[in-house]
Amino acid sequence: MTATQSPTRAAQTGTAPRSRGRSGRRQQVVGSLSVLATLLLAWQFLPTALGTPSYVVPVFSDVMRALLDPAAFPRYLDAAAATMTEVFLGLAIGVTLGLALAITLAQLPTVYGIVFPYIVAIESIPKVAVAPLFVIWFGFGLPSKVVVVVLLAFFPVLVNTIHGLRSVDRDQIDLFRVNGASPMQMRVRLLVPASLPQIFSGLELAVANAMIGAIVAEFVGAQKGLGVLILQAQGRMETPAVFALLIILSALGITLNVLVRLLRRIVVTWEPH
Amino acid sequence: MRPLVELDHLGKVYSTRTGDVVALQDVSLTIDEGEFVAVVGPSGCGKTTLLKILANLEEHTHGVGILGAKELGGGRSSDVGMVFQKATLLPWLDILANVLLPVTLERRATPADKETALGLLRMVGLEDFARKRPNELSGGMQQRAAICRALVHEPSLLLMDEPFGALDAMTRDALNVEVNRIWRETHKTAVLITHSIPEAVFLAERVIVMSPRPGRIVEEISIPFGKERTLELMGTAEFAALCARIRRHFEVSAA
Repeated sequence: MTATQSPTRAAQTGTAPRSRGRSGRRQQVVGSLSVLATLLLAWQFLPTALGTPSYVVPVFSDVMRALLDPAAFPRYLDAAAATMTEVFLGLAIGVTLGLALAITLAQLPTVYGIVFPYIVAIESIPKVAVAPLFVIWFGFGLPSKVVVVVLLAFFPVLVNTIHGLRSVDRDQIDLFRVNGASPMQMRVRLLVPASLPQIFSGLELAVANAMIGAIVAEFVGAQKGLGVLILQAQGRMETPAVFALLIILSALGITLNVLVRLLRRIVVTWEPH
Repeated sequence: MRPLVELDHLGKVYSTRTGDVVALQDVSLTIDEGEFVAVVGPSGCGKTTLLKILANLEEHTHGVGILGAKELGGGRSSDVGMVFQKATLLPWLDILANVLLPVTLERRATPADKETALGLLRMVGLEDFARKRPNELSGGMQQRAAICRALVHEPSLLLMDEPFGALDAMTRDALNVEVNRIWRETHKTAVLITHSIPEAVFLAERVIVMSPRPGRIVEEISIPFGKERTLELMGTAEFAALCARIRRHFEVSAA
């Protein structure tokens, strides 16, 4: 009967593509690593071969020397701590505000209709352009950076969460209504969990945006942070240090992105990877 | 038998920009306790609207409807269990928690509630899947779990809205036999909405035939096959004759 056959069928179709996917994944990893090795080799030998001066494109080993310089290390650490403080504070505030406003708007269709064109309009302006204004308003310290990060993290979370909340299955909503769910139960036990995949998509964008926001805000005017160090290294034409700082920034950005995706896997267990 | 559902000239009119649309007109219908009624008709005949009014998901605009001791409408939630076309299980809950949802939306589930839920899952052969997630089950198994969910809070009326429309023919037949067994074992009053005439004749004691524009009842047919139904029934001449009699209505309206 179907009751005994279908689970095995489900189990087979469930594992077969996964094992195929695993060997395909190994191939991808090997491929990616070979590309990286090739690029690094080219970086090490091409500038010298082409006679490019070190202050334009330093060879890879010079960049690594700048990156691992014990004298520079405390400065890097301080700056990274400052930048990441801006990023995390801004993310915490921006994501919370984005989620809260999305959930509120999803319950108020009329207000949503009024506000939506403004959200679209603000979404489409390049928000980093207002960073100089925020420096005037909030000064050279932490607050002006956090405000830029908040602004950049807020919109992707808002837009994606609203999209998620509005695309919750009609029948699931009817199911909750038939069983007399309160508006609070509807939110907490249906709308928000059902929107988690979209919320996480928004969060991934917010994290990438937050890094951009913090660095740009530091370029515009700051006392410390990785953006400040990049500007200083540029001023002294220490191109290897600029590259070293870019590597630190990339590593931090990638780490944050991986953390969000890991969290997504842990929370959204029903999503096919 | 006491009547559970009494509809008296029930009607539903939607106001749209291009004018009023009559979705249901003069639907008068009595359903006794323990009865299995199927409503058939082409799309647009208002059968889903009728079901939603019974579930208090929509309000009627004309006439009177009573379910149990309560009048329908007025934004109350009604004492029904609902099975949708899709299983509509929540993917973040395991099967047991999904089945218990109507209970947990009302109060904290007791061990007795869990026993009830597990008993229902046993009845449909899913007791070993209580801790699995919906995506680990086949479509037919998911729909079985959805039926358990509709029964767990012991509603007085079981509503099914084309519950097997999305399943393949073989699974569909097997589930129809199972619904018949569940109905006999639980003595529930059941209303099935379907566009499959054989499914309606196979499951119901009474088939309500509806016709579109405006949605109204055109015939009520008693199905004289007793309570227990087997798939062999579908091969009999009597079964075919009943199906043909119902189908005639739609051939006329399509012409």
